[in-house]
Amino acid sequence: MDHPSPSRRSVLRATAGLALAGSALTVAASCGNDDERPDELEAPLTAARADAALAAVAGRTFPDLAARMGPVAEARRAHADALAAEVRRARPDRADAVAAPVADPAPPASSSAAAAALRTSLGAARDAGTDLAVHAARYRSGLVASVAAACGGLAETLA
Amino acid sequence: MTGPLDDADTRSAVQAVLGAEHAAVWSAGLATAYLPVEDQTALADAALAHRERRDALVALCEAAGVAPAPSAAAYSTPRPVTDAGSAAALLAVAEDDTACGWRAVLERTDDAELRRTGVAAVVSSATVGVRWRGLAGTQPLVASFPGTR
Repeated sequence: MDHPSPSRRSVLRATAGLALAGSALTVAASCGNDDERPDELEAPLTAARADAALAAVAGRTFPDLAARMGPVAEARRAHADALAAEVRRARPDRADAVAAPVADPAPPASSSAAAAALRTSLGAARDAGTDLAVHAARYRSGLVASVAAACGGLAETLA
Repeated sequence: MTGPLDDADTRSAVQAVLGAEHAAVWSAGLATAYLPVEDQTALADAALAHRERRDALVALCEAAGVAPAPSAAAYSTPRPVTDAGSAAALLAVAEDDTACGWRAVLERTDDAELRRTGVAAVVSSATVGVRWRGLAGTQPLVASFPGTR
């Protein structure tokens, strides 16, 4: 027998080491998932606020865009409110991050540049939401898909 | 083996949206007689998308041993269809119905393929809906939350 059975003492030591390693991993994982990582809805929320602000500025700056920018600003504000409400409900610890105000963007150089910028960002929101709705929890999937669909339709109104 | 239709709640949502897809296919057929030539390509594309989703739903039901909801021979339209505007209004209603049906499915399944089909359906409904609402003369062109009554 080249391999003597381990003494009781050494087995216990090994187990204690594992237990320590295990708990360290648990702590690290829970920090990452629950306490520090943003909620998955924060990115679409930020995008909705940015679009609402840009649409409002563009509508004020370029009268020829006002009729098309009004519905974009209104819908994107409604999206931001619904997404923020869901983040606050599910993640009270992220309430401060969700409350961060959005500065008014600088007006784009021209009416066509403003429409193009919003069309691009609405298309990106549609595509990101399409992916998120596939993987999100059931109760969130419908909301995320609905927001993505509205973005797709709004992008179409600027085409 | 577990399948996407094991749950009764998911099954009834899938059957409901299949009924809406049948109605959308029928509505597109009726609208071809009224829409101007420049909208016929968009209508054909939308009709094809509804037929494909209908067929995918029928296949899903059959694979699960569930009898798929049948189509009706005809549907009563919310308003009489007599011209391009009223035909486009019917198409908008049909798109809204499928969007609502698919949103309900999304909230009742974790199946990734069914989710992908569903979110694409809600997005395409809101996108093509812009054209139908424009033609029907109704505002807003886009609901803030498509798929919601």
